[in-house]
Amino acid sequence: MLELFSDFTLRNVAMGAALLGISSGVLGSFALLREQSLLGDTLSHAALPGVCLGFLIAGGRNLLPILLGALVTGALAALFVLLLTRRSRLKNDAALGIALSLFFAVGTVLLTYIGNQNNAGQAGLDAFLFGQAASILPADVAVMAVITALSLALVLGFWKEFKLLSFDPGFAGSLGLPTLLLDIIMTVMIALAIVIGLQLVGVVLMAAMVIAPAAAARQWTRRLGAMVTLAAVFGALSGVVGAVISALATGLATGPVIVLCASVFVIVSLLFAPERGLLWAALRSVRQRRELHSHQVLIDLYQLADAHGNPQYPSEAGMMNLYYGTDARRALRKLASKGYLVKTEHMREEGPHWVLTDAGYERARELLGEMGLAA
Amino acid sequence: MTAALQSWLLSPDVGIVLVGAFVGVASSLVGTFLVLRKSSMLSDAISHAILLGIVLVYLITGNQYSPFFLVGSALAGVATVALSELLARSRRVKSDAAIGLVYPLLFAVAVVLINVYARDVHIDAHAVLLGEIGFVWLDTTVVGGLELPSSLLNIGIITLVNLLFIVVFYKELKLTSFDPALAAALGFAPGVLYYALLGLTSLTAVTAFDAVGAVLLVAFVIIPPSTAYLLTDKLWRMLLYGAGVGVGSSLLGYPLALALDVSIGGMMACVAGLFLVVAFLVSPRYGLIAQEIRRHQQQRKNARRMLLVHLYSHENDRESLEENAVTAMQTHLRWSPERAREVLMDSLEEQLVEKHRPDDRLTLTSKGRILAQEVLEPWRRGG
Amino acid sequence: MSTDPDTSRQSNTQQPNTRQSGAATNSHEPELALHIEDLTVSYHSKPVLWDIDLDVPPGVLAAIVGPNGAGKSTLIKTVLGLIRPAAGHIYIHGKTYREQRRKVGYVPQRSSVDWDFPTTALDVVTMGLYGQIGWLRRPGRRERARAEKALEQVGMDAFAERQISQLSGGQQQRVFLARALVQDADVYFMDEPMAGVDATTERTIIDLLKTLRSRGKTVIVVHHDLQTVASYFDWMVLLNVRVIAQGRVDAVYTAENLRRTYGGQIALLETPTTDAVAEEEQPDGPEQEVEGARAL
Repeated sequence: MLELFSDFTLRNVAMGAALLGISSGVLGSFALLREQSLLGDTLSHAALPGVCLGFLIAGGRNLLPILLGALVTGALAALFVLLLTRRSRLKNDAALGIALSLFFAVGTVLLTYIGNQNNAGQAGLDAFLFGQAASILPADVAVMAVITALSLALVLGFWKEFKLLSFDPGFAGSLGLPTLLLDIIMTVMIALAIVIGLQLVGVVLMAAMVIAPAAAARQWTRRLGAMVTLAAVFGALSGVVGAVISALATGLATGPVIVLCASVFVIVSLLFAPERGLLWAALRSVRQRRELHSHQVLIDLYQLADAHGNPQYPSEAGMMNLYYGTDARRALRKLASKGYLVKTEHMREEGPHWVLTDAGYERARELLGEMGLAA
Repeated sequence: MTAALQSWLLSPDVGIVLVGAFVGVASSLVGTFLVLRKSSMLSDAISHAILLGIVLVYLITGNQYSPFFLVGSALAGVATVALSELLARSRRVKSDAAIGLVYPLLFAVAVVLINVYARDVHIDAHAVLLGEIGFVWLDTTVVGGLELPSSLLNIGIITLVNLLFIVVFYKELKLTSFDPALAAALGFAPGVLYYALLGLTSLTAVTAFDAVGAVLLVAFVIIPPSTAYLLTDKLWRMLLYGAGVGVGSSLLGYPLALALDVSIGGMMACVAGLFLVVAFLVSPRYGLIAQEIRRHQQQRKNARRMLLVHLYSHENDRESLEENAVTAMQTHLRWSPERAREVLMDSLEEQLVEKHRPDDRLTLTSKGRILAQEVLEPWRRGG
Repeated sequence: MSTDPDTSRQSNTQQPNTRQSGAATNSHEPELALHIEDLTVSYHSKPVLWDIDLDVPPGVLAAIVGPNGAGKSTLIKTVLGLIRPAAGHIYIHGKTYREQRRKVGYVPQRSSVDWDFPTTALDVVTMGLYGQIGWLRRPGRRERARAEKALEQVGMDAFAERQISQLSGGQQQRVFLARALVQDADVYFMDEPMAGVDATTERTIIDLLKTLRSRGKTVIVVHHDLQTVASYFDWMVLLNVRVIAQGRVDAVYTAENLRRTYGGQIALLETPTTDAVAEEEQPDGPEQEVEGARAL
């Protein structure tokens, strides 16, 4: 493995992927909490015309003008969405879809235009659709590092303001925070996160990198700081693992592999995170159902005993099994282990019977009381 | 006659424009209901996810042309939405994030599968994302003695299916789009209809996939109905206008793309966007310009009413003299002298107030008083 | 309902008016905790508040009461500078909100935020100090201590490190209240702090409000329960797009005033069409309308 990282190209790719993961994890956390996940989708698709314009203006495949172009068209798309939702009867979802597809369409037109002008260059631009690890240069990594550092500095500097704005914008406004300005800064930062990932992940799937690490991190923690840190770690790991896999296996587009890695983090987190894990929730509900079932059995035995006027009334085990189905045996054993029941064989020829103990009798009365039924 | 029609149909120009127009009509028919249901972004999810359906069916059947594509893609599209909804219902992520988590995963799996197993089939990034409408006339089918581009036949059939669905379930679709709760209460099973709609969206997407690809399809599904939504309130008109925008985009987009030598599908989508921007600006009822004019009128009307209410509130106060003086309009209501003058002129002209010399005191006329009361106590209206 | 413009104007003049003379208007009434002149707010060019003149003296517990869509929340948000008015002036102790921001505390509606946000109760309370900490600085030990003390005041010190989604509705409301307490203000604005909370929390809140009053603070509360107004508050503003009546509760809480405030809404109880003027105002739920009707 160490030998792998001594490979110059691979080291480049890994560093770039780590930077991309960190920035999208950190900035994506805020997008996720502000319910702006799909805005990320629109911004990433809207980067395509910017990539082409940057290429046309710089006259070649130079990363900085391309990323600047992507940032500008991303911001324009965000403005377009804002304009449509504020000043027309179109709803947010339609505005996002319109901006996404329209900007992307302009991008495809520009892409074919460039393709006709300059065939060599277009091959380089195609990498921005699905990402291409191999195309990354040391200078590109430097550009990514500067943008990542800049956006991390912004997040650290305005940490408490961003937190308050994400949680309670109304209260933030009442404290006199410039909410509109902060809103704009946060939207630009999402665009920045997307721009950083363009080369490795591509415009089509970059939105997923904004959402997935943050959504995975959200499951593990109850604090914003921990969530953002964890999202950065998940993002960096998915980026590095995905980029290295795609760089080693020829013909694998980088973006999809990175997104698959991030999705693994999401799935594992959704299932196994303590407290919020869906697996634990499912187990809890099974346990609850069983407990309810055993309560029901206990109460039935109590009522049977009551009806016969004999607290020690023996209920036939076979009859119980027939009545409750296969689950009865487990419920009865559990009740017995808690000391609420004992098994007797008072009449050998009739098979085993279950009898309530004093504790079981009391417990059944308690349960009935809890249910609001007179014992 | 038939020969002329035959050669007309087989000319590349006609084939491309017709396919583009049908894609526009078929997409905007289903898109209308997605836009009305505020689920536009589902078309983005569906159009990406059907790639997985296509790839899986290809890997299983090994056939590049198989009717199973339709089944596989429809299932993939519906499954994406169902999975997203399931995830959102678990309350671990919000519904917007759920969509953004599910479809990129399915799309990424599809692209990786193509990379690994299907490299011999020519499915490149361009074709997947943008389609290749320029080649639709190459592949033809003979129907009733007439040779047609296969894509045209397929998209024509799906357009008819969509149309039929809407005609048959028009009443139900209308109700479930505007009031799902009421529809459910009336026993219309909005869930079934909703998934049928998503299924048709997926079928449309897979049929149009060769022509316009995954992302451009979103433009055809969302932009024409949204344009129509800016122009009308009536559902049938929205369907009609949406279809019109779809056809118009194809008719204008194709020659433009030829002239500039750029992506045909992309240009068609751009023209659709242009229609939308024009509607956004000049729609007689909802356009930006109409809004501005109405807003200005409303402001003047509100200002007039504000003056009336102000006069009414202070009619019997001890300080009414001070409050009602013309200058008070400037100091109390914070109006500029020009605005105050304009409002005063309007109100005098409509005989809502009277000005009394020598101190320019204003009083309400009986007409003005009734108007003020209507503003303040709307429930008294009709007595 | 008979239309008699004279009766409404008669009672309009009877309404308690703390303003003594027109001349005092120019000094912006520094002796009043809240002084609003000729305020009009419109939303999407629909008027939500019409020509509001409102005065609240210092050191009272004031309730703003009115039917759904009466503009209660809008009034508070406008005072706090969150909504731009179409016309009018607002003064807090004689100065604008901008100048007095540090002396004002705010409790928004509990339903206005996402309680699944990854943060703790103590953290939320600390947010009350963000305005005072200044840019680029983080809350330190001193701020933490103040927040802890505020949590203690609302009986929530044991829940300081609890994630906010794990708190009950009443506990969440108390956290919001603690956040306002930590602002250490002179005038507090609270938007429905007692909506949907348990009896214990309601008791805690009202005791706390009374403590604040005894310390000379002014608390202005949007309240939805007509039955408790008289026992909880000493000042009352009846609002329905305009101010129907304002003053000491015993003077304002009359059947006639309530009829004039809720009149239209009671008629609406029979017909399901609502006539809410403010679209953005949170619906308070049907219970409130029923309560309003019952109180009459």
